[in-house]
Amino acid sequence: MAFYLEKEKTGSTPKVLIDEAKKYMKIEGESYHENVIEFFKDISTWLEQHFEAVCDGFVFECEMTYFNSSTAKLLLNMLLHMDDCAALGKNVTVNWITSEDNDIIIECGEDFEEELSNLTFNLVIN
Amino acid sequence: MIGNMLEYYNMTKKNNVEIIYTGALWAGGIEGLGSTLRRQMEFEELSLSASQSVFSVFVELMNNMLMYSVEKMDIEGHPGVSKGVFVLASKQKVYFAQSGNMMKTENVELVKGRIDYLNSLDKQGLRKFYKEKIRQKDENEGSKGAGLGLIEIAKRSNEPIIYEFTPCGEDLTFMTICVKIG
Repeated sequence: MAFYLEKEKTGSTPKVLIDEAKKYMKIEGESYHENVIEFFKDISTWLEQHFEAVCDGFVFECEMTYFNSSTAKLLLNMLLHMDDCAALGKNVTVNWITSEDNDIIIECGEDFEEELSNLTFNLVIN
Repeated sequence: MIGNMLEYYNMTKKNNVEIIYTGALWAGGIEGLGSTLRRQMEFEELSLSASQSVFSVFVELMNNMLMYSVEKMDIEGHPGVSKGVFVLASKQKVYFAQSGNMMKTENVELVKGRIDYLNSLDKQGLRKFYKEKIRQKDENEGSKGAGLGLIEIAKRSNEPIIYEFTPCGEDLTFMTICVKIG
């Protein structure tokens, strides 16, 4: 069974969609819950255990409007894992989507991009 | 007790206080207060980048208090509810976010040292330090954010973080942090 996960957004957690069959994942909205590690647990577990097997041609769209520092750490760890998988010659794409006036998200996208060397990272500014 | 209200009100007015919150701090409460704060900034027609900066400092200060305040409330089914005080003041679109909470005196030097170091860095230095820290594996579970929150706060302010540590008895110290934004 291909992994499928949908989470609706709440006041401090984002909307999440992972559709392994379609090789697609999207996180959008805001993330500043005090316990983000708990919120992202099933996503991180899936990434660590199953992502590598399905990562060729995978697209991750990250369209966050705000996230706190603990979420930033978690997101970067997720991206680094994806990057490690891409290092095996697989094609992984990350679209970092934001509006042009969201300085914090743009700056963060630029910083993250510098840490990643194998996957395709697109900073998409609308 | 009740007669103090006018005094409180005048004091907040004199100090340009927009929001003052004290009492129980928990994750859901941060959300609620956060949306009030956002609405208030909408009324003032702040630009997105200015309001994001204020909001970010607010969230990190609140999370810091949740983690480090030693005053915990014992509520069944709700572990980790802390106590502290948060004040947001503003004057002509310049914001001052302040937090106050009780901490262990033994940790004062560590926190002071961290803030002093951040205050010595310029924007580029902060960005570099943030990137170093975010890549570090957590040394212990007790420091969930690995001090990233304070760096984020420093990044959003153009001025040094102001702090004050007031000893309260033998083992406890009241910590005040003040951050100017805009």
